[in-house]
Amino acid sequence: MTGVALAHPEGQETQRRRRLKANLGLADRVFRAVARGGGALVLVIMTLVGLFLTYRALQALRKAGPSFLTTQEWNPDSGEFGIAAVILGTVLIAIVAIVVATVLSVGVALYISEFAPFWLRRTLIAMVDLMAAVPSVVFGLWGAFFLQWKVLSLSRWISDWFGWIPIFKVNGVTRHDPLATETVYTSSTFIAGLVVALMVAPIACSVMREAFSQAPAGEREGAYALGATRWGMIGAVVLPFGKGAIIGGTMLGLGRALGETIAVVMIISPVFVIQPRILENGTSSVSSLIATHYGESSPFALSALFAAGLALFAVTLVVNFIAASIVARSRSGAVSEV
Amino acid sequence: MTTTSRPGRPRRWLAVACTLVLATGAGVLVRPPAALAYVTINGAGSTWSQNAVDSWRRNVAQFGMTVNYAGTGSSDGRNQFRSGTVDWAASDIPYGIKDGNNLDLPPTQAHPFAYMPVTAGGTTFMYNLKIGNQRVTNLRLSGTTIARIFTGGITMWNDAAIKEDNPGLRSRLPAIRIVPVVRSEGSGSTAQLTQWMVGTQRSIWNAYCAAARRNPCTQTSVYPIVPGRGMVAQAGDLGVAGYVAQPQANGAIGYVQYSYAIQAGFPVVKMLNNGGYYTEPTAGHVAVSLLKARINQNKNDPNVYLTQDLSQVYTNTDPRTYPLSGYSYMILPVSLNAPMTTAKGETLADFGKYALCQGQTQVNALGYSALPINLVQAGFDQLRKIPGAKVGNIVIRSCNNPTFSTDGTNTLAKTDPKPPDCDKKGPTQCATGTAGAKNQETPVNNGTGGPGGGGPGGGNTGGPSTNPSGTPDPGSNPIAQQGACDPDTQDCGQAGGNTGDPNVFGQPVSAEAGLGGGFRIVLMVLAGVLLLALGLGPPLIAQAGARRRQRRSDDFTMPGGPA
Repeated sequence: MTGVALAHPEGQETQRRRRLKANLGLADRVFRAVARGGGALVLVIMTLVGLFLTYRALQALRKAGPSFLTTQEWNPDSGEFGIAAVILGTVLIAIVAIVVATVLSVGVALYISEFAPFWLRRTLIAMVDLMAAVPSVVFGLWGAFFLQWKVLSLSRWISDWFGWIPIFKVNGVTRHDPLATETVYTSSTFIAGLVVALMVAPIACSVMREAFSQAPAGEREGAYALGATRWGMIGAVVLPFGKGAIIGGTMLGLGRALGETIAVVMIISPVFVIQPRILENGTSSVSSLIATHYGESSPFALSALFAAGLALFAVTLVVNFIAASIVARSRSGAVSEV
Repeated sequence: MTTTSRPGRPRRWLAVACTLVLATGAGVLVRPPAALAYVTINGAGSTWSQNAVDSWRRNVAQFGMTVNYAGTGSSDGRNQFRSGTVDWAASDIPYGIKDGNNLDLPPTQAHPFAYMPVTAGGTTFMYNLKIGNQRVTNLRLSGTTIARIFTGGITMWNDAAIKEDNPGLRSRLPAIRIVPVVRSEGSGSTAQLTQWMVGTQRSIWNAYCAAARRNPCTQTSVYPIVPGRGMVAQAGDLGVAGYVAQPQANGAIGYVQYSYAIQAGFPVVKMLNNGGYYTEPTAGHVAVSLLKARINQNKNDPNVYLTQDLSQVYTNTDPRTYPLSGYSYMILPVSLNAPMTTAKGETLADFGKYALCQGQTQVNALGYSALPINLVQAGFDQLRKIPGAKVGNIVIRSCNNPTFSTDGTNTLAKTDPKPPDCDKKGPTQCATGTAGAKNQETPVNNGTGGPGGGGPGGGNTGGPSTNPSGTPDPGSNPIAQQGACDPDTQDCGQAGGNTGDPNVFGQPVSAEAGLGGGFRIVLMVLAGVLLLALGLGPPLIAQAGARRRQRRSDDFTMPGGPA
């Protein structure tokens, strides 16, 4: 293209230039088409996944009707199945995960962006990214064989002292009984949530860190000029500025926590009953239900699993849409208003 | 500034070069010696037979064979083979066994297959139980008690039914909860256990199955769980064994293949057979039990040929029987439908040959039992059906299979000694340990007055594998008896443990694992270093160069830096 332009430097320069521009326009158009195509493809794939899940789930959904949303059991072959217990289990695990992950990632993000000495900063960022790259099966193994057994005494302590709060109650133990077996605290929502928290924290953390580090220097310096301590500055400038990112990062993490499969499979002991006591053995989640049951399913039971998958798909989509809109609306990344 | 940044640049490149050399160097080191004709074959399925399969996989690596195996459960193995995502599968039960309403249809059209038995062994109940600080290693249970434990009918370790099975521990069984640990995913172990329950404990199983609202009630691969009965479900044999083996899991009992208990160093339940003896699934006992397995001989129907019917094993009256013995199978492709190729077929057939021939000499030590000659022979015929297989004529005599004999009988079963008298149902109980805790004795106070420990043969349940001739080991017993004599002192078990049977189970395993282990550790360390280098190297290197440049502008970018 430039060759053409250089070959005829003299005469009708403007026309040549127009053609050049037209060529550039073509490239632009191609690029735009590719970009648009890529964007559209994502939407098409998502729609197709949704349609496919719906199509495969129809058989089970027709038979179950609205009771699919209210039944707790999972016995498709007996005709009694529903997602009440598994969806609630999924949400409980995700909530535990997100509560822990939010605290953890806000702290880590603040430390990295505000407190860490410069030489440590890049190393810490690399470590957090590395943590995001650890496969979930590794987290699962570590959780099931190590963390779980170290956390038991914490679970026990919480249930001993805060057992009067319904969610911390544990059936089948006498509180403050030193000889009681600790196995009742294993494979619980709490432990699964802890492990999932460690898996979603890196994602949430990097979203937050980006936003915190972009808090406008003018406002920071203004806060210092007004006599703020470092924490005062963070409270007055960085956190308000990064509020959207904190919420957005949390919601993105929530999206991942809802779908986490293999680590949860390795830790929980599935029960198909609404089990709101998070410290007690036994919980369930949609993804682990699918992972453990698809192998031994009749065609109808498989359709029921598709229906459960569809429900999870819908919930995850909603959560991610909310997260995206909150991130988009927040001030994070905007320039200083001063 | 310029003077300091100048040497920084070459240093940075040096560092990058070092990282690259490290990465490629490690890659070269890891690469195995050039494999000639073999291609990688992928399999998935049973965790029950995984310990044997993994040991064979490690051993054939020296021939340049790369065999991948994912222990994801028998159900998953059968499914993956059906959908053509693996070249071969391992499963404890065949296709077509009705599980609820699921027919588990065999992929006869899409992926024609043949069954080949590869391992024989026992599904055991590994437990973690302590009396005070003393681990119980000699627990024995009847079939009914086991069925009631795994259906929530018996919930405490000091239940009368357990006391009745264990007269030597009667007064000391602790009042703690039983935590039955079952498999959470579709598994062949669950299928074998529930098949046995359907076959021998039908009323208990049906009541439980109904409480779990399963309808219809059949044998199943996914254990039904009734909420609130204190059961724990874990994924994989390893998950169950890992759970039971935790120090905090006192009171837990889970079903796993015998080898997992040996690996974990934990005891298994001695199970009451119809001959009136409590036994554990040693290689010899399994071989005896499976003499009663009815193997389908209909060569014309590949869907059933060589499959097992274990109903007579459950009820075998030979005192050496272990009722929950069974075979596990490899599912072999017999067509060239994708993903099979003749090259894969050749590799798979050679792997199968190894497993059936040399492989069978090691499995006894792992916790399995060698296949009898007739099944090895039938297995070779199945291998010949794989496209691309070059099986040739094999002389089974040269395989050193411990079941081999010149007169066609099963040597392993023939020389298997009768269990000691203290294992007989009655007022006395052996003090000797089982499985992975074979040399830890549990002090017993048997009801027959005297403070005697095990009966005359007490120290010798390890006999069948360590002592093929069946003669008792004279060296260890008298002292072991003395060691067990005083139930009240802890030293008893200690003394017995130190002097008991010096050639315990599993020595060949540790030697074999030692060879592979060193290499594996080196690889793991290399992989770890590589991971760290790849993860930390680039940022550190970039940082080294960027630091000074950044420092210059710190005053502007670092929030409150100088303040």
